[in-house]
Amino acid sequence: MSEPSPINVLAPNHKVDTITRRAALAGFGVLGLGALTACGRNTTMAASPPVDGTIESKLNLYTWGDYDSPDLLGKFRDDFDVLLQVDSYGSNEELIAKLSSSRGTSGYDVVVPTGSQIDRFAGHDLLQPLDLSLIPNFSHMDPNFTDQEFDPGNKYTICKAWGTTGYAYRTDVISREMNSWQDFIDAAGDEASGRTSLLSDPWELTAISLATLGYSLNTTDDKELEEAKKIIIDEIAPHVRAYFGSASTGMIQGSFDLMQSYNGDARQGFNEVENPDDWEYVFPTPSANLWMDCWAIATGAPHPDAAHEFINFMISPENSMPQIEYIGYPIGVKGSEKKARKAKFDNIDLIFPDQKVLDRLEASIFNEGMAARVDILTEAKRRSGAA
Amino acid sequence: MAYTIRKPLTDRFLNAWGILVFMYLFLPIAVIVAYSFNNGKVLANFQEFGFNAYVSGLENDVIVATVFTSLQAAVGSAIVATIFGTLGGVALAQAKRGVWWAVGLTVALGATLFTPEIVDGIAFLPWFVTLGVDWGLTPFNDGMVRLIVSHAMFSMAVVTFIIRARLAGMNRQLEEAAADLGANVWRRFRDITLPIAAPGIFAGALMSFTLSLDNTILSSFVQLPGSTPWPVYIFAAVKVALRPEIAAISTLMFLLTLIALGVCALALRKTGGSSTEIIKTMAG
Amino acid sequence: MIPLRNRVFGPAALSFPTWAYVVFFFIIPVAMVIFFSFGYKPDIYTAVATDTLSFDRFPEAMTPAFMSTFFATLRISLLGTFLCLLIALPFAYWIAVKIAPARRSLALALVMVPFWTNFLVRTLGWQIILSPTGFFSEGLLALGLTQERIDILYTHTAVQIGVVYNYLPLMILPLFVAIDRSGTKLREASYDLGANKVKTFFKVTLPMAMPGVISGCLLVFIPLNGDYITATVLGGASGSMIGQLIAEQFNSAQNWALGSAMAVVLIAATVIVVGVGFALLKIGQLIAAKANSIPISNGRV
Repeated sequence: MSEPSPINVLAPNHKVDTITRRAALAGFGVLGLGALTACGRNTTMAASPPVDGTIESKLNLYTWGDYDSPDLLGKFRDDFDVLLQVDSYGSNEELIAKLSSSRGTSGYDVVVPTGSQIDRFAGHDLLQPLDLSLIPNFSHMDPNFTDQEFDPGNKYTICKAWGTTGYAYRTDVISREMNSWQDFIDAAGDEASGRTSLLSDPWELTAISLATLGYSLNTTDDKELEEAKKIIIDEIAPHVRAYFGSASTGMIQGSFDLMQSYNGDARQGFNEVENPDDWEYVFPTPSANLWMDCWAIATGAPHPDAAHEFINFMISPENSMPQIEYIGYPIGVKGSEKKARKAKFDNIDLIFPDQKVLDRLEASIFNEGMAARVDILTEAKRRSGAA
Repeated sequence: MAYTIRKPLTDRFLNAWGILVFMYLFLPIAVIVAYSFNNGKVLANFQEFGFNAYVSGLENDVIVATVFTSLQAAVGSAIVATIFGTLGGVALAQAKRGVWWAVGLTVALGATLFTPEIVDGIAFLPWFVTLGVDWGLTPFNDGMVRLIVSHAMFSMAVVTFIIRARLAGMNRQLEEAAADLGANVWRRFRDITLPIAAPGIFAGALMSFTLSLDNTILSSFVQLPGSTPWPVYIFAAVKVALRPEIAAISTLMFLLTLIALGVCALALRKTGGSSTEIIKTMAG
Repeated sequence: MIPLRNRVFGPAALSFPTWAYVVFFFIIPVAMVIFFSFGYKPDIYTAVATDTLSFDRFPEAMTPAFMSTFFATLRISLLGTFLCLLIALPFAYWIAVKIAPARRSLALALVMVPFWTNFLVRTLGWQIILSPTGFFSEGLLALGLTQERIDILYTHTAVQIGVVYNYLPLMILPLFVAIDRSGTKLREASYDLGANKVKTFFKVTLPMAMPGVISGCLLVFIPLNGDYITATVLGGASGSMIGQLIAEQFNSAQNWALGSAMAVVLIAATVIVVGVGFALLKIGQLIAAKANSIPISNGRV
């Protein structure tokens, strides 16, 4: 019973013990579910078979939607004769829910959590340590993207892709110059009213108004968050038509003139729309998110050898180019920007933002201000729905 | 005179209405079929006519595997739901009015219909983990078993109620007469109840097959990698980028279903059943 | 007396496997969810705790955001049910009465066909149709029927169109069965007694079709109320439905207690609406019965 429970698996360790015991006691008696509750809370994570040097015939990848070049995945299948199954999720929470509730029996091998959340994953036994000796291509990683604060020594993760957040807009609808988040808010309330979309992400949404107010994007200050909320609810939400995870589909369908978007997703949209010249992407001032998604192996992964081989394959210098070209995000392999510029990728400035842009970004942190941000998103959606 | 003028008018209105409704029913399907010949990269963005989507869809191991998963789960859950549903339906039809177990079963099955699918989904996942991991019932760690068990639960009520309705008008005296003649329970079931219930059983099986093939929400909660059903695959794609392969494979499945239904209809005609009868039974 | 053997293999025993299945795979797991709705979310890292039980989640669930989506959902599903009925009634009548019996099963099979293509795929079809850059919009523009591109994707209207479409066959079929069952003889008798078509429809066909209307409305309303796929594909901020909010609590907010409470509210609301519907129906029938008790031979009504 001292193991984290499936439901409480996300709780800080020191808390779990008390919660589970009390919960189990309360559980007996109520609705006759006592036995059930107790059993439901007996939780060991199923263990992974040991790494033995033979690549298994299967591999299950659980990642964000459309986040790897299909050609590369096909190549991996052919080269290693592995039946590779890919499933996708839309948020870190979904991934946590899947891994924790199945307690090591999810069947997934390779997963892609976001850097800011690695604590939550590793601290609760959802990830298993990597064996870097099985990933020789790790030596090709740019040191700027290894040994990060959230995972010193790359014990659990390796950079998968990184990017930032900004917005795309229709230049034939919004003719003024757009540079900042304030411009975004102004255009949403004016030319693009009713044809604006936001990311369905509490942190990203709140960051818009925190940035214009000049506060830290990771603030936990109630007053600052309250101010940010007011701007979002009163000035942005009434003009918003939809909340999306990815902007590219929305750009193609033609229902929007102004879309908050991650840079690589916007690039996919640019490559598909009929009139790319009518679209412009902005890395807004004064600041925005700098995020990093990471390769990791889930606890209980049934195919650990194939998993290590897969990560090694995806970060090899020769495979990095097709991967970057497809997903539109840098993947942290040394020298890839130079090679990509040489190969003249489409809309390359959307993949690799300027150093000037990079300098002003702020990496998102998962902190106690999250609950307030979730409330802001819920309230904003309601306001938009009533418009 | 007024009468004769009015008559064709209402008829003409009804005919026009009927054709309009049919067009409405088939419009999105026609669109999906048309867009399956899109050679572009994105489903909604029609670029040029071609069969690329069919080729790449059929070559895609993952897509093919999800379709097979869906078909297996649909057949499996149709069998399970039909067996349990038939037993339940026969039992309910023979029950005395107001017997506690019959009322209880009706209410419980009714509740399965009233429960939002999402609730079933979140209820099933921890339960399967408890059964499979804690109680050591390892079959529940298998994705296919989970899909079949949960889908069958989802359609069992429909099968039960169809069969109960089918048997409701059945002449009990037939059974009693057979009993008087010395037929045992099994023979009475086989020779009397079963033939009468047959169209209902068939309709129920067809219904649970369809419901399973369509199920998205429940499946997305209980599925395991390697047993992702087709709709879950599509739903994941909706959130990111839809490719024409989805339309192509859907079109193929659509054609296959039509052929299968045609074969069923022919087989029924041979055995003397009427398809109208089946559809009527399904509907209520 | 019933012989012992019959009692052992009687209907009660026959129902046992179904009972067991329902208890084991529905009642127990769903009871757990209901149980969760009395729990709480102790901190941001924890989905649910049940050490102290309370009803607090229910008022908490009924925030303005929840309630407005809740009523929007009710409006979509009630209006959707009504529209389905409106579309399906003449259509079912047409198939049952106007189409030659030989072609009837073909017509019915055609109604079922959309039912046999995937729900999501059909909805995606609508996404293509309704998008401003879609062929439908382009076609209307080209024909000069509109000046502007149609722009209803990600709105309330798109969701309404989608749900009516998705649940229409579930309304048509029971209506057809009911109208078909009422038979031609009664209608002919009505004509013979001098009633015209409209009057026959309202006085004979419709009352006879009532069971079909009821089961059709139930078949459409109940799943529609809990649906969230259609809204996810077609609805933007203004077209969101309650199922999405519940799913969000489980998938992203990780607040199982609150999500369970919302689900319980949804189930309760569905039951209440159906109950009110039945009550209204009963009252309507009583009034109708009163009105009809005036002998028809009196002639004009």
